[in-house]
Amino acid sequence: MDSLIAAAGRALAVGDALGALKLVALREDPPALALRGIAMAQLGDYPRARDLLRQAARGFGPREERARARCVVAEAEVALAMRELGGAPRTLTEAGAALAARGDLANAWQAQLIAVRRLLLLGRLDEAGAALAALDASALPPALAAVAELATAELALRSLRTATARAALQRAAAAAAHAQVRALQAEVEEARVSLSRPAARLIHGGHEQPLRLDEVEALLASDALVVDACRRGLRNGAARQPLARRPVLFALLRALAEGYPGDVERNALIARVFRTRKPDDTHRARLRVEMGRLRKTIAAMAEIEATPEGYALKPRGGGKVAVLAPPIDGEQASLQALLADGAAWSTSALAQALGDSQRTVQRALAELEAAGRVRSIGRARAQRWLAPSLAGFATILLLPAALPAE
Amino acid sequence: MNRKSEQQATAMPVSTAEIVREYAPLGSGGDIGGVTYDGRDVWAAAGSRVIALDPASGEIVRSLDCAAHAGTAFDGKHLYQIVEARIDKIDPATGDVLASIPAPGQGGDSGLTWAEGSLWVGHYRERKIYQIDPNNGAVLRTIESNRYVTGVTWMDGELWHGTWEGDESELRRIDAHTGEVRERLAMPAGTNVSGLEYDGADLFYCGGGPTGKIRAVRAPRRAAG
Repeated sequence: MDSLIAAAGRALAVGDALGALKLVALREDPPALALRGIAMAQLGDYPRARDLLRQAARGFGPREERARARCVVAEAEVALAMRELGGAPRTLTEAGAALAARGDLANAWQAQLIAVRRLLLLGRLDEAGAALAALDASALPPALAAVAELATAELALRSLRTATARAALQRAAAAAAHAQVRALQAEVEEARVSLSRPAARLIHGGHEQPLRLDEVEALLASDALVVDACRRGLRNGAARQPLARRPVLFALLRALAEGYPGDVERNALIARVFRTRKPDDTHRARLRVEMGRLRKTIAAMAEIEATPEGYALKPRGGGKVAVLAPPIDGEQASLQALLADGAAWSTSALAQALGDSQRTVQRALAELEAAGRVRSIGRARAQRWLAPSLAGFATILLLPAALPAE
Repeated sequence: MNRKSEQQATAMPVSTAEIVREYAPLGSGGDIGGVTYDGRDVWAAAGSRVIALDPASGEIVRSLDCAAHAGTAFDGKHLYQIVEARIDKIDPATGDVLASIPAPGQGGDSGLTWAEGSLWVGHYRERKIYQIDPNNGAVLRTIESNRYVTGVTWMDGELWHGTWEGDESELRRIDAHTGEVRERLAMPAGTNVSGLEYDGADLFYCGGGPTGKIRAVRAPRRAAG
């Protein structure tokens, strides 16, 4: 390493991107290109940063495998910041392995974490969980540990394990404080605040009450029969019956649950589920058929009794019945509640779950996307919708670690 | 470098450098750039300061607050330190910068040593060593190597330089006129050389780059006379 590279590297490490650029702006050798790339990334010019990092990676000679691999890792991180998730993960895996083999563990871990974050962004939660489990969080340096804990928290929240998430966020906060990276601390703080915001509404015996995520978790763990209008299904303790693909059955079930312990009139059910105020015999016949299907589908958890006026829900355990609804009414809130599971949904699956037309759903999604409250990957028929990640991950602040002085 | 000299270099016998002692003045982090020796202490460039290490105890005995990005040299009275694209002449008693000359590699400079009234500067990726006038920085001579040059030092009239090309490092003795490689000492895997200084007796001091270490390597014995 030469003098200006050392000086520019020191400037970058303290976040002085302009100072670093001043020192190496006119140089075209690979180490200078790499530093310029990192500086541009810190300044937010990701396309230019990626170009420079690619040029640098190409320029390093066969004996400079470590420097080349670092450029690949930094480039992957820039791609992640650009939300370009199409890159080959194999290149990143190989670079990580090359770094680990040369004793550069910090950057090898960095490569693994980028892979985890990529999987999270793609909604591939099982793979993200497996990749995360392969990392030993206690061995990581503080900044990387904070990122790993944020990813752990996100995974836990997606599957509604709030205690696990809370503990992970606590560790993330400690690690971020230790790393003294302000942006990382802010991200952890934001994720913690989001835990205490209302995540759903409980509708129970005609009353409504906002619930935090941990209260939702407690409710789902209780012996109550929960009609989950957020994720579209029926849950009773560990037993669950997804109904996201059966919108009519779900609408009937929700109406019955809101009427519990009483019964619900046939005409009221028809008006609500079939959306007509002038019921005729065909509607009543269809209601009978759908009720029969619902009865069969949820038989393990509840019965449906026909009464002189209509139908009534009878939970098998005889316990409470509760309806869990999105925190606010409306198309958009319902979509966000569905996406909160962290999985990648197609427009048609969302439309099916909500019982709306694809066009309606698409319009709502477009508005949500413009507001940054959902994001999509892929194009046209392959387009999938996801919730925004809980933490944006202060990508660029971690970059200097990708290229410590050689 | 041309293919012929590369072949000559690879044809030279390689022995393994024997590390006599390892100092960790900066612990496991921080950058060691150049190193030099004033007859008593080992001086090392450490980014924002120049530190002096007592080689017997391994303790840091002095620390000067001045920018220090690459090679360091000592002329018997003053320290010379490569900073960005210049060479600062520093009073070791106070840390004051007494004068500055432009570095010949315009910031691509790496190693620095003092010998025979001249400064010798390694130009890292250009694989060159320059002899310059310490008063004005004028280049008096250019010697070409075939590896990236890190530290440079003179040992009893022989020119040695450290190489650090990617993941491999060596100490090399080269012909000061032709640049031909005469002798090679390979550093063990994972130990890179960021600065080099002969102590006048039987040791080379080598900067360890980002490991923050300084290593003492046994200098090859010469037949008496």
